[in-house]
Amino acid sequence: MNIRCARPEDLMNMQHCNLLCLPENYQMKYYFYHGLSWPQLSYVAEDEKGNIVGYVLAKMEEDTEEMKHGHITSLAVKRSHRRLGLAQKLMNQASEAMVECFDAKYVSLHVRKSNRAALNLYKNSLKFETVEIEPKYYADGEDAYSM
Amino acid sequence: MPSSNPLAPKENALFKRILRCYEQKQYKNGLKFAKQILMNPKYAEHGETLAMKGLTLNCLGRKEEAYEYVRKGLRNDLKSHVCWHVYGLLQRSDKKYDEAIKCYRNALKWEKDNIQILRDLSLLQIQMRDMEGYRETRYQLLMLRPTQRTSWIGYALSYHLLEDYMNALKILETFLDQQPKGNLDYEHSELILYQNMVVQESGDLQKALDHLEKNSDAIVDKLTLKENLGSLNLRLKKFETAAKIYEELIKRNPENTLYYKKLIESKQLTDPEEVVKFYVEYAELFPRAMPPKRLPLNYASGDVFKNLVDKYMRKGLSKGVPPLFVDLRSLYTDKTKVEIIESLMMQYVDALKKCGKYNEGDTANGPKEPASALLWVYYFLAQHYDYLDNTEKALNYIDDAIEHTPTLIELFVTKGRIYKHAGDPQEAYKWLDEAQALDTADRYINSKCAKYMLRANHVKEAEETCAKFTREGVSAMENLNEMQCMWFQTECALAYQRLAKYGEALKKCHEVDRHFSEIIEDQFDFHTYCMRKMTLRSYVGLLRLEDVLRGHPFYFKAARCAIEVYLHLFDAPLKDESAEQELNTENLAPSELKKLRNKQRKARKKAEQESAQAAQAQVKKDQHHKCGRGDVEPDAPQLDELIPDKLARVDDPLEQAIKFLQPLQMLANDRIETHLMAFEVYFRKGKVLLMLQSIKRARKLDLNNSMLHTCIIRFLKFISDNKVEWDPAVDSVLKSELKAHFNNEQDATKLNHQFLETYGDRLESVLEGGKMSYYLDKSSRSRSLDLVLSLDNKYKDVNIKNCNNVLGALRKGDFGDCAKEMEDYVARCNKAFPYCASFQKEKTVENNHIQSENALCSDCQIVNDEQFMPFNNI
Repeated sequence: MNIRCARPEDLMNMQHCNLLCLPENYQMKYYFYHGLSWPQLSYVAEDEKGNIVGYVLAKMEEDTEEMKHGHITSLAVKRSHRRLGLAQKLMNQASEAMVECFDAKYVSLHVRKSNRAALNLYKNSLKFETVEIEPKYYADGEDAYSM
Repeated sequence: MPSSNPLAPKENALFKRILRCYEQKQYKNGLKFAKQILMNPKYAEHGETLAMKGLTLNCLGRKEEAYEYVRKGLRNDLKSHVCWHVYGLLQRSDKKYDEAIKCYRNALKWEKDNIQILRDLSLLQIQMRDMEGYRETRYQLLMLRPTQRTSWIGYALSYHLLEDYMNALKILETFLDQQPKGNLDYEHSELILYQNMVVQESGDLQKALDHLEKNSDAIVDKLTLKENLGSLNLRLKKFETAAKIYEELIKRNPENTLYYKKLIESKQLTDPEEVVKFYVEYAELFPRAMPPKRLPLNYASGDVFKNLVDKYMRKGLSKGVPPLFVDLRSLYTDKTKVEIIESLMMQYVDALKKCGKYNEGDTANGPKEPASALLWVYYFLAQHYDYLDNTEKALNYIDDAIEHTPTLIELFVTKGRIYKHAGDPQEAYKWLDEAQALDTADRYINSKCAKYMLRANHVKEAEETCAKFTREGVSAMENLNEMQCMWFQTECALAYQRLAKYGEALKKCHEVDRHFSEIIEDQFDFHTYCMRKMTLRSYVGLLRLEDVLRGHPFYFKAARCAIEVYLHLFDAPLKDESAEQELNTENLAPSELKKLRNKQRKARKKAEQESAQAAQAQVKKDQHHKCGRGDVEPDAPQLDELIPDKLARVDDPLEQAIKFLQPLQMLANDRIETHLMAFEVYFRKGKVLLMLQSIKRARKLDLNNSMLHTCIIRFLKFISDNKVEWDPAVDSVLKSELKAHFNNEQDATKLNHQFLETYGDRLESVLEGGKMSYYLDKSSRSRSLDLVLSLDNKYKDVNIKNCNNVLGALRKGDFGDCAKEMEDYVARCNKAFPYCASFQKEKTVENNHIQSENALCSDCQIVNDEQFMPFNNI
């Protein structure tokens, strides 16, 4: 497994990984938007053949009134590659880049209330704090923790 | 030049308001003001107003009227740059870029320094990759707006893309010299890195290194800075510096395998033992990092390998790392490593059962391994034997594992995969369905289940399964299409192809093709955006990516399916439905016939009405939909609806196939299948020189390919059968080419004989050679069949895939009528491959029509499960 910064040619394969793993999907243009606005912030995990097995798609929230901060748009690791610690390692690289290149003061994200594995990662491993609950954040009506 | 029909001040003011409304998207108001001008009889035919009215209507989705008004306006004022500009914008919104470029050029004839038109023109030029034109336009923009940053950047970029590095760098330097010193923001940093990219591409590595070192303080992206410093130092053989930089990079991200490889290169370690030692040291330095533990396994051998892999596997098994096998799989190219792994695993099974340890000799008083360790060993062994095609043992171990822990989803997935590899897609999907039921909240399992359903040709079930994760209110198919879910659409197409639903298959292939067109369109907005954001390195990366986009394996897979289907439709066109009904009417009495005709007419009328209504509803829905999503341009053109029946009944299937083929010939020319498919198309078109071209290209990739052999034989026979017909010029080309390529043997029969002798130990080759023997000489049937139907061990490649290919050939009639031989062959294959559904009598019925329809390359049963390679050619 190899973890490295994403390049434009990875974006399509990230979309593929996203469609396999997560219910929240985006068209290619949105991936391009990330990759071309903040090329330093998205990371991929690939296997020896170069298949993308996990990724983090990240951006900066720039035009808010609040402090400059990064935001995790999407994070996924294929179920076939769980328990290798990939998600945490991807997150660490992305966060570091947010601080270094864009002077981010903190990182924000949303997570489904029911997603226990992800909550555990964010809360316990990465020390995120819950800011609020956003009711019906997801298309299917589920609430989100805003962290 | 002013309009030939200038407006009075009052109307002129109104006209300006139309323009403002257009910019601010207040289209209704724009129309109101246009009406006010046109109401004045003096200006009823005013060209620019009519044109703007048209453009505004276009934004409201009234395309036909839009064209009408814009054209009328232009006719009334052919010398107005506004009218030409508007016509260009209209064409652009319709994606007719070439036409739009012409319009802009006409507009510039009448107003050569119009910034807006020049900008619009430059966008189209770069989108269409008219790089010379782009450079000229950017030059004019720089001359007109020398103080703007984007003027300089755009002009430099144009030279860079033309590979004129010297001029690109000169412009960048001039621009940067004017900038205030000590700039530390992100955009400046990106610009410096872009400049460095151009220097590197110019080939002057030393200059690139100096440039980076000189500017390192201004670069905020320290990762890119270091990666470039590392690679430049290494390429310039400054090993010590390079090594130091890569050490820093590893500290920063110890999960990056490339850094380790580059560090080894910097340290000039070549001896595998040294490399292993290096990794072992790093594993101690970075105990949480994966690469220094995993990578030495690639280099070690013998006892060193055994020790390392033993430690590695024990750790994974104790921790319960499900991807352990997937992680080690790439070692399986080395047989001795496979044996070592297998014997260690066997030792673990025994010892864990006996004393709860990995080795019976392990000190007796240490703590026991967790009970789950045995489970993970079983799980590993199941995958291990599956990989080695030992279905029996694989199933035994997976059953042991399931008995141990009946709730672990991964086990059911693996059991399904074993059945898939063993040739039973139905049984495979049942196990995936089981897995999916255990965790309905996991989309990955859901997706895998849907994929297995499609492999088993259950399209409807697959759609229903996917629907659990698609947006409510829309059909899953529609939502997956909107989300560009290409894996699903391609697997659907393949299922439909197997089910002989050719129209449906083609629809899916075209949908995938349209995604690629859309992704190419997606660039458009980034031409301006990136120039502003200064992310030029990524922008150039995007442009280069888009240039080879259809080289992506997703496109290849869909295109191959489409080409195969079109070839099949050419060979066996669908019967005309009305003609078929005609046959049945012969026996009807005239009065009954009249009734039938009436009924048919009514049915047809009703169907037409319904489809018209559906189309209308679709348009409305799309418009509504687009309003809902603010990011979609309101004026995106409507694509023709893809109607399966129409697609399957095209007049020119070969021309359609060529449309899918051409991108492959450009971008997938390193895959022999591309040229084999090209041959099949041109063979059917009788294009002898293009056949030759395809064969030549294929031969460059693999001289001994069996499928290529059949192309050559058919080609030689085609030539000798049709010799008299061609033009002397073609004839002379053929003669010299044949001499160059088949100097030894140009006689098809003899060449085929040679091939069969050379590759007599490969069933795959014997099948193709045998087919050709029969093709050339029907009397060779029994001799060829004897060879092809043999399953004994004179062949080293008797496997499910090849035996299925044999069966497919028998079914297709490649050896004449073989009903009897088939029955016997199926029975013998069943003995050899008891799990394979296509050799099971009771299952052959349901698989029968499916298998026989595989036209060109019967898709192998054992398709690489772990999907898709990223780009190799970038």
